[in-house]
Amino acid sequence: MAPDYKHVRVRDYLRGLVAHELAVGDTIPSERELCERFGVSRMTVRQAIDALVNEGLLHREQGRGTFVAPPRTDMELRLVGFGDDMRRRGMTPHTDLLDAETVEAPWDVAESLELEAGAAVHHVQRLGWADGRPMALEEAWVSAAIFPDLLDGAPDAFPESLYATFRDHGHDPDWGEDTVSASDASEHEAELLRLGSARTVLRIARRTFAGQVACAFSRSCYRADRYTLWVPLTAPNPVVTPARRHR
Amino acid sequence: MTPHDDQAGRILRALGGVDNIVEIEPCTTRLRSEVKDPAVVDQAALRAAGAHGVVVSGRVVQVVIGPSVDVLASELEDLM
Repeated sequence: MAPDYKHVRVRDYLRGLVAHELAVGDTIPSERELCERFGVSRMTVRQAIDALVNEGLLHREQGRGTFVAPPRTDMELRLVGFGDDMRRRGMTPHTDLLDAETVEAPWDVAESLELEAGAAVHHVQRLGWADGRPMALEEAWVSAAIFPDLLDGAPDAFPESLYATFRDHGHDPDWGEDTVSASDASEHEAELLRLGSARTVLRIARRTFAGQVACAFSRSCYRADRYTLWVPLTAPNPVVTPARRHR
Repeated sequence: MTPHDDQAGRILRALGGVDNIVEIEPCTTRLRSEVKDPAVVDQAALRAAGAHGVVVSGRVVQVVIGPSVDVLASELEDLM
């Protein structure tokens, strides 16, 4: 009764090859070889390969072939900026500053930064690279009242790390919250991130605090084929109920 | 009064008092609470007591506090 999904067999075979026999950068068997080995159509083979390209396990280069992609290093999210996050994952970062200007805070930004709507905020948009390939597009907003001179050196001498700048101003970021979701990249995002057929991105909205001060709000989108999150799990805390007063 | 004077007492009152609480749990940066009647929860009062955000979903009210939520939760326990 169970349908025999031929592309699943091809996909699982390739997954095994990547895991046990091939190294990063190796080419996978040709479509023709796979067709012959499994007795399936070229369309079925492509379906299997597409799935693994979308997963980020394989990497396709136009006209050159399909290769085993470098592994995605997962890492617990910490309260560090893009550059430090990439270094913690073993990659070499650099960032392009796309935009840096002082604007009136949109209402959602104002709310996240605990400011009045329309308050002056610095808006910074950056493209983050890891090992020479685009990884993330980040937009950040910072209160201009707390960090008045943040953009003084922009664009030539803009600091790599906003967090270091916050520390220099006496606001040492010590906690924050990320809200993570997934969706397809917009055309503009896909172009900047140089996405191919795999369009899924991880979106991370972050509020960064130093004590009670909301320092920054950011929205980033990460290439889902290059970036994974690792979340340590612990048992839930014991709950407190009013019934305990009767002890 | 600064946000942190009697923060536990103010947050408990803003959540509708002990009688409105089913349970509370500190969750790293948030106080997760389950209440009997979400309509009596005073979000403005939670904010005034130092909350950095309030997320209500059904009868679950999450109050963004920061890492001091563990201390807050034990103070709340004393009041309950």
